[in-house]
Amino acid sequence: MPLYQYLLRRVIFAIPLVLGITVVAFLIANAIPADPINANLPQSALNNEQLVAAFREKWGLDQPLHVQYLTYLGNLLQGDMGVSIRTNQPVLDDIRQFLPATIELATTAIVVGLLLGVSFGVVSAVWRNSPLDYLVRVFALIGVSFPVFLLALIGLSVLHAQLGWVAGPGRLDFLVQRPPHVTGLYTLDSLLAGQWGTFRNAAYHLVLPSLVLGLYVSGIIARITRSSLLEVLNSDFVRTARAKGQREFFVIMRHGLSNALIPVVTLLGVLYGNLLAGAVLTEAIFAWPGIGRYAYRASTSQDFPAIMGVSMLIALIYVIANFIVDLMYFFIDPRIRYA
Amino acid sequence: MMKLAASTRISATSFLGAVLLLAGMVFSLAQAEEVLVIGHAEITEAYDPAHAFNPTSGMINRVAYDTLVTFPDADASSIEPLLAASWSISDDGLVYTFHLRDDVFFHNGAPLTAEDVVFSFNRLKYMRAQPSFLADPIASLEAVDERTVAITLVDARPSFLAELCNTAFSVVHAETVRANGGTDAEDAGETDTAMRFLNQTSVGTGPYILESWSPQDRTTLVRNPDYWGEQPYFDRVIIVNIPEAATQRVALVAGNIDLATDLTPDQVVALEGNDDIEIFLGPGRWTHFLLLNRDPEIGGPVSNPLVGQAVRYALDYEGYRELWAGSVTPGSNMWVGLAGAFGQDQAVERDLDRARAYMAEAGYPDGFEITLHYPDLTWAGVGLSTNAQKLQADLAEIGITARLLPGEVQVALEGYRSGVQGFGYWFWGPDKLDPIDFLEFLPGGKVAGERARWTEDMVDDEIMALIARAGVETDPDARLEIFAQLQAYAQQDSAFVPFNVPAVQTAYSATLEGYLWHPQWGLDMALLSRTN
Repeated sequence: MPLYQYLLRRVIFAIPLVLGITVVAFLIANAIPADPINANLPQSALNNEQLVAAFREKWGLDQPLHVQYLTYLGNLLQGDMGVSIRTNQPVLDDIRQFLPATIELATTAIVVGLLLGVSFGVVSAVWRNSPLDYLVRVFALIGVSFPVFLLALIGLSVLHAQLGWVAGPGRLDFLVQRPPHVTGLYTLDSLLAGQWGTFRNAAYHLVLPSLVLGLYVSGIIARITRSSLLEVLNSDFVRTARAKGQREFFVIMRHGLSNALIPVVTLLGVLYGNLLAGAVLTEAIFAWPGIGRYAYRASTSQDFPAIMGVSMLIALIYVIANFIVDLMYFFIDPRIRYA
Repeated sequence: MMKLAASTRISATSFLGAVLLLAGMVFSLAQAEEVLVIGHAEITEAYDPAHAFNPTSGMINRVAYDTLVTFPDADASSIEPLLAASWSISDDGLVYTFHLRDDVFFHNGAPLTAEDVVFSFNRLKYMRAQPSFLADPIASLEAVDERTVAITLVDARPSFLAELCNTAFSVVHAETVRANGGTDAEDAGETDTAMRFLNQTSVGTGPYILESWSPQDRTTLVRNPDYWGEQPYFDRVIIVNIPEAATQRVALVAGNIDLATDLTPDQVVALEGNDDIEIFLGPGRWTHFLLLNRDPEIGGPVSNPLVGQAVRYALDYEGYRELWAGSVTPGSNMWVGLAGAFGQDQAVERDLDRARAYMAEAGYPDGFEITLHYPDLTWAGVGLSTNAQKLQADLAEIGITARLLPGEVQVALEGYRSGVQGFGYWFWGPDKLDPIDFLEFLPGGKVAGERARWTEDMVDDEIMALIARAGVETDPDARLEIFAQLQAYAQQDSAFVPFNVPAVQTAYSATLEGYLWHPQWGLDMALLSRTN
């Protein structure tokens, strides 16, 4: 199948998926037996019927549910995600503001996790059942099972406050000015502005949170890489390669790892989506002003437009991440290309 | 030639020296800037005074703007002048006339006028946003002359001056706000677009100017060099959003921040013994209480006032104080920090024999089973589940078997506010720092009527007359007396059992001076300074 056909098919499949997500998100958000008035107006303001009525009217809460949904969908098709009840800003503006911080952290974390995870996985598979293998497996188990927020707190208390090896909370030192906004990614924006000091500071602040999140990711990747590589290394074509007298390193890297990485790539899409969507606690502990905090606060204040916006965003991230993974298959695995 | 060269060399050396000296001066000036960094769990969505109504905006707007009148630095015991040099109240209590100071200028250099006050208050009223209810008592506003404002109220309201201390009544520069989309017209809620502007800068008269705000990240204030009052010590204040108390503690210990505003009891314990850190513990704003629904079909046994008395005497008040360091036992649902509120010395004390006697008198000598509703959350460092478990144990002592039913906050709140919870555990922070706030917890008040179904027809006419007087009495001594009688009455027959006011817990660098906690705006940064 040609690439463009393959892409088109994926895009067409994504449309009903996203539409379905709007329905589910809308129904779940409205299924909560609670009134947004309670979450968004102070107690004494509830005495003022005019104020309550004005609030309901402003946010369309006085309309039947299906009218609310259709209005939302109509606006969405025109690129309007609505205005957040809580921040009074267009949801799209809020997302633009908070998403870059999360993307910067999640991307660094996934790179750290991938590098560590694949390295550990290879070491573990090549020296199977050796003390090194056991060590890596224990490490992977800890990475997967140790609560991320606890690791974050320990990291801050010991590595930052006591030893001073890593930066403290926040995306920059509190006395360092933010770089001029271009992408919202501080590392990139500071480079674009030629602010090397700010770049170093932003990068320094990424170390601990991306290590903490990366360790979790690496635990999962190491386990998958190990089992996948073990399977590949026992296959006929690897035996053939060895029989041809190729060097072991070449056999492992060229024939073994490149084939063993397919399930890892599959996993990456899901893991990246998880990191973007599920970093609420890590963001809170590292005082990282990302989309996780925004989503959390939207849900606790029943900010429907924001809840819907974030749900759609997360769904889209999964769709895009998996789309990229599918594309990578296309290049990695000839069977897909020629199917 | 040689001479020339030498002189050129000397000039070059002098020039270089001068440049270095200048650079040194600039550097030392930059070094000399005094910066205060505050770690704070930001919970605001706006700094526009007509939209913002939360602790974060209160703290920022306290120093970015001024109000007509204010409270003393550390309590709400009296009303003091601020933008208004003096004021008078008409005999019928309906018209308040304020005379403005003539030496006050906005951050942009424009002088303060009565027109600015009228615009600010009308804008607040017609915005129909969160704090707009505070302007409900205002019938009309008039700029009598350049420096005189007359405010006419709908009804006489003894608490009005205290309500004016809220930062929602901050005075903004009308012309600038209008130029940026603001309006004080009746349709301001739909047409005013100045919030985005006022979220990024302040056009007030306060000691600090809002320089920038990056939501959920940081707020920066710079000193107003032309402030009409005493100049604050710090040139710049950076308030960084640190939502987690544990991270605030780490940042304070590591020296990343000078002050942590939202610690929890366990974090405070971890800071004890650290000579570089000062800890502040004082009674906070939140009164924790039990609600006993008076509708027999909803409350069942707890609707009986005698059972209410039994519950009141069954609770181990001292135990809650030990559980939450620095907390106090309130004597009523009137916030303990208010003048005339019953404090710990006038509070009910545990008396299990008396409690059991009330249970027997109410017809429940063997007790009963009941569900205790409460929101499943930690509020200002206090875990409601921890208190609920203790309440369960306390009540078991007099035969009441409480089944705990924690609920998701919004869902539980819905049940509480619609009055369908028979037996509930909640907390309350005063919206207005005036005794009048307590009337919410008496028949005729919102909380009593709608949430506990404790209505006017359930109490004597004498008490209702007293409640009516409490709402309009303006003489301070007479007010104190009326509220004392009402609190004493509530200790006998209330549908609420207040049991603990947890402490505010903050910690700051020992080099800071002037820290005071205020129940209205939390922290006044303009009072802080640093010792070397």
